[in-house]
Amino acid sequence: MDRLILQTVKHLEDLPTLPSVAVEVMSLSRSPDVSIKTISECIHKDPPLAAKVLKLANSAFYRRGAHEIETLHRAILLMGLNEVVNITTSVSVLSSLGSRKSQEQNIRKKFWQHCIATGLIARRIDTRLHMSLQGREFVGGLLHDIGKIILDEYFHDQFMQAHALSIERQCSMFEAEQEILGTTHMEIGHFLAQKWGLPPYIADIILNHHHPRDARFKDITSVVSIANLLAKASELSCGGDSMSFVLKDQQGWQILKKMGHPMDSIDLERFSFEIGDIGEEVKEYITTVSDQEDRERAYA
Amino acid sequence: MPMPEYLNTAQPGMSDETFRLLRDFIYEHSGIFFSDNKKSQLENRLSLRLKVNNLPDFDKYYYLLKYDPQASRELRALFDSVTTNETSFFRSPPQIQAFQEKALPEILGKRAAQGEKVLRIWSAGCSTGDEPYTLGMVVWEVLGEKMPEWDVKIFASDISEKALKSARAAVYNDYTLRSVPPDIKKKYFIQEGPQFRVCDDIRMLVELQYLNFNDEKRVKLMRGFDIIFCRNVLIYFDDAAKKRFVSQLYDNLNPGGYLFIGHSESLHNISRAFKLVHFPGALGYKKE
Ligand SMILES: C[S@@+](CC[C@H](N)C(=O)[O-])C[C@H]1O[C@@H](n2cnc3c(N)ncnc32)[C@H](O)[C@@H]1O
Ligand SMILES: [Fe+2]
Ligand SMILES: [Fe+2]
Repeated sequence: MDRLILQTVKHLEDLPTLPSVAVEVMSLSRSPDVSIKTISECIHKDPPLAAKVLKLANSAFYRRGAHEIETLHRAILLMGLNEVVNITTSVSVLSSLGSRKSQEQNIRKKFWQHCIATGLIARRIDTRLHMSLQGREFVGGLLHDIGKIILDEYFHDQFMQAHALSIERQCSMFEAEQEILGTTHMEIGHFLAQKWGLPPYIADIILNHHHPRDARFKDITSVVSIANLLAKASELSCGGDSMSFVLKDQQGWQILKKMGHPMDSIDLERFSFEIGDIGEEVKEYITTVSDQEDRERAYA
Repeated sequence: MPMPEYLNTAQPGMSDETFRLLRDFIYEHSGIFFSDNKKSQLENRLSLRLKVNNLPDFDKYYYLLKYDPQASRELRALFDSVTTNETSFFRSPPQIQAFQEKALPEILGKRAAQGEKVLRIWSAGCSTGDEPYTLGMVVWEVLGEKMPEWDVKIFASDISEKALKSARAAVYNDYTLRSVPPDIKKKYFIQEGPQFRVCDDIRMLVELQYLNFNDEKRVKLMRGFDIIFCRNVLIYFDDAAKKRFVSQLYDNLNPGGYLFIGHSESLHNISRAFKLVHFPGALGYKKE
């Protein structure tokens, strides 16, 4: 059945779509001389989106100053264009995928917890290593596994079989997917990222987070790959796979080390211990990004 | 009515100098370190020793420890006073789960493949026995019917005689059992009124002994362990004592063996000899 599923997905007509404004914002942001005004006006064309972006900009995750940020214009001035584009990307992807239902709502809920935890841990790694990835590591972590949603939605039974297999064999979810579906959540997610015109670094993370050696954006993909493992180790796992690992032997760790990041200076025990409380932050993020009704539907 | 002499709690305070003498004495004999901000804690803990020995002040107590021919007996009482014996069954459940689901099956598999069905575990700093008995129950759960084929020993040691005495009695109250899964509680404990006694099958797996980690010669003899639990013990040592003792623990392990320390502790600045392994919700140190 090789490749068949990937081909099928490519021809699906009812795949989720991204709000058109989000697509526009992402492409606008790629041109070097885009003005603050252009971007904020563009986001304003989708009022619910604009409201959510502002709400998140004012949340504990991003808020810097003491004063409430009242306009998008001001948000861009204070937080930088990149961060506002990041927020817009996260909010739009979450609004098109966050409300999709699964026959296994419980697994779906864990899925989102895992993704948000990965983003938050990626951010902590960025801070710890002073990498200045500027919030892209958070978006990357948040979206790294989106292929799983498509697999779950359109190939539910096989996806559940893969889930069971990964538990039984204590192997990775992607290995089980490869065996049962002939494709992986990385390939499917990558296809979706390209179809949606998500920025290249996100597509790269989605495709390579399990083997950052093959990534083009090696630093950020490595950060997300480590964050993904740590999220699982802190029991925020979405697949059946809850394997043990030696972080220092992982590709992502070694790549960052080779790049000259002070990996050996990290007190990993302390860092892991502190991640233990990430669950609270995850909940807070969910509360911030979701409307009451979304929350009941998707994450509750 | 005048108060009897021994009830008079007014004691002369501990001078900074005496604090330093006592602190260094304790450190030298046990590795347990009281930093400068722990003076009043030490004072509290030793005040009973003054009364029992009928001494007027901490200076005299120091002289007793240092020069009295009976000092070795007082030393044990001193250790009882300066140790923190806080513990419970199934403490830090994710660690116990990592032991049960990952480390233990890995070791048992390897041993069985070698045709050598021997398992040696050490609960180093076992306090009142909650930890070694917990490990015994887990081993029993994992091995099940195969238990008789295996030679299992869990060594459990502590510096506190008082704690070891409770461990030998193996009778506990409900509170220390708060994290015990109900089926385990039913299977391995015998209820006696409001208390719970560990069943003999489990008690027979555990060998309790007095051992001071500072006693290098005796610690060196603890060889050939597959798994060592030394949780919430190192926190009372300073870095130098931690380093000494952890490198000793490394030698005490078999290749492929695991060390578990307290879930909020770190060996980051203490040892590079081990491989840090991430288990779901817990960390372990592997000797390769
Ligand atoms: C807080 S208890 C921990 C008990 C158990 N390991 C746990 O984690 O629940 C610490 C124990 O370490 C013991 N200890 C402290 N210093 C020691 C030393 N130098 N040698 C042996 N045991 C020591 C104390 O007597 C105490 O019972
Ligand atoms: Fe993944
Ligand atoms: Fe993941």
